[in-house]
Amino acid sequence: MIGTLLSLAAALLLATVPSSAATVDLGASVQLTGKDANTGRYYGDAYQLTIDKINAAGGVKVGKDKQKLTLKMLDNQSDVNLSVRQYVQLVTQDKVNFLLGPFSSNFALADSAISEKYSIPMIQGGGASDQIFSRGYKYIFGTLPAATEYFSSTVDLMTKLNPPPKNVALIFADDAFDVSVADGTRALLNKASMKIVVDQRYSDKASDFNSILSLIKSQPVDAILVAGHETEILNFIRQAKTLNVSPKFYSFTVGVPTADFRNALGGDADYAYGMTSWLPSPTFKDEYFGNAEQFANEYKKRFGYDPDYHAASAAADVEAFVKAIEAAGTLDPAKVRDAIAKLDFDSLYGRIKFNAAGQISLPQTVVQVQKGKLVAVYGPKGMMEKPLYPMPAWGQR
Amino acid sequence: MQLLWQIIVNGVLLGGLYALMALGLVLVWGVLNIVNLSHGALIMLGAYAGYYLFTGAGIDPFAALPLSMLMLFILGYGIQRGILNLVIRGPMFNTLLITFGLEVVITYLAQVIFSADFRTVNPPYAGANFELLGATVPLVRMLAFILAIGLTLVLWLFLEHTRIGRGIRATAQNLVAARLHGVNPRRVYALTFGIGSALAGAAGTLYGVVSQINPYIGGALTAKSFAIAIIGGLDNSLNVVVGGLFLGIVEALTALYIGPTYTDVVSFGILVLVLIVRPTGLLGRTA
Repeated sequence: MIGTLLSLAAALLLATVPSSAATVDLGASVQLTGKDANTGRYYGDAYQLTIDKINAAGGVKVGKDKQKLTLKMLDNQSDVNLSVRQYVQLVTQDKVNFLLGPFSSNFALADSAISEKYSIPMIQGGGASDQIFSRGYKYIFGTLPAATEYFSSTVDLMTKLNPPPKNVALIFADDAFDVSVADGTRALLNKASMKIVVDQRYSDKASDFNSILSLIKSQPVDAILVAGHETEILNFIRQAKTLNVSPKFYSFTVGVPTADFRNALGGDADYAYGMTSWLPSPTFKDEYFGNAEQFANEYKKRFGYDPDYHAASAAADVEAFVKAIEAAGTLDPAKVRDAIAKLDFDSLYGRIKFNAAGQISLPQTVVQVQKGKLVAVYGPKGMMEKPLYPMPAWGQR
Repeated sequence: MQLLWQIIVNGVLLGGLYALMALGLVLVWGVLNIVNLSHGALIMLGAYAGYYLFTGAGIDPFAALPLSMLMLFILGYGIQRGILNLVIRGPMFNTLLITFGLEVVITYLAQVIFSADFRTVNPPYAGANFELLGATVPLVRMLAFILAIGLTLVLWLFLEHTRIGRGIRATAQNLVAARLHGVNPRRVYALTFGIGSALAGAAGTLYGVVSQINPYIGGALTAKSFAIAIIGGLDNSLNVVVGGLFLGIVEALTALYIGPTYTDVVSFGILVLVLIVRPTGLLGRTA
């Protein structure tokens, strides 16, 4: 009996004495395996790289002393239910201080309920659907531009083309993010007085687009806008070629900026438009990496592949926590939450400043694959490079 | 009208590939009474075999077909001899669990070995097409369709008219009687699973030419093959063609007239209907 009490007391004592090396623990559940692993890896790798970089510079200043960051990362196997359980585990068992997000809107939508329930701030760079930020949650912050605005710069560019496309086909997957994109894009197209002649929603497991493509071919479509996932977009383009569907212009929410996309399609990737909220340009200054270009170089050197905006967004999430903790001077979740809401700093990803709903506003740059190279054609300041327009028919390339 | 014709052509071509995907599953199910949940993973391996033979060795995917079939045959034969034969007398639930486990293992090994990068098999003629009575016919899909039908016919002839084929059917019908006539069930089982895997390999290699490949395509392909097997019925390999074409056309029409988001709802809805109304399949013999 006495022995038990003694050991209990010892355990309590150990628990209350602050360990000599206090750390700031960040928790994340990421798609390291499973169907989203291809994009999930950007988050896992960028979190680790940024945390190591900040630790190498001494760590994060909490009040008077500097503490190191640690990362507790779990693999959710691309299963949204598992990711919810893992975030509960991170908060209740691992007792991490703050949460970093998973990839994709469906995940962020579900996981943000955990950060809200336990009042632990989550900064995530993987979910852009407006649904995540329209529920009045206080503890979720996002560093991707709003889904409804994804095609905004693209539609701007379309109005400046000669001749501007008139009839548009809007094709989108039926998940949270892509439905938001479609809702926003409809409004943008109406404002630009373009006509939506095909408006089709497909199952996000689809691999066959022959029916949609045949429908598009039967209509006078000038431009196709697709909101979907990279696998579907690869199939869409390949099948468009086999059915000879050649609009003057087509653009895709994801895929186009990645090297993987151009490798998989080869020459067929040419003329495809896409968008990115980030380019590895030296103009984006960063306290820890120097600038975005240096970040990209370090990333490539360590992981063997190029980062894209997912990775930059993830890196910015870690930096946002560091800035907020330093501003708050404490690890108290509620105080850090308020500090995050007030953040305004320049990072390798761009300017980080959250609106009242917790989302940042970043202009998308329109990119196009031209002769196998990714070219930024249209940005917030207007035309950057000449877009190749109209797209030649498949037979005349 | 023009559009409807195009959609039907699309559906038929898709159905041919579907049929080939389901063929191996049906064969294994019919003979071994194993619903092979790793079937889609084997198709995925076939797709990677085609990809590496094309990008690594420069072998045209259609010429690579016999090679990838041989590789998958050896793998399938080994899986049956080394793993499945141990539980084949057990309840069906055990074999389901084992093949499910195999699916998980194969998929995760594939991610480790091949990475999660998306791949495509892109020979110069991959985008070629021709006109048929006003409809655009993708060349590769047409070739895949012809091969799918051809392989189904070859399998049917093999099962009907060769000694080994008759042995396979005999084992499926009456194990004891087959044994009495000198059939070695272990060998027949391994052979059948090997052939089923080889057919998955062929389907995968063709799938890689029309679609993108990643380690996770298997699950959806197993589900699709399963639906086709149920719709067509298990007792004759030719039924698979009907099941495949039926599903291909229904999906294409659904995508056009109801909406692409509902193709899975409709195809699995039909699966449920068939199970209720005609449990032996559209063409299966009624018990």
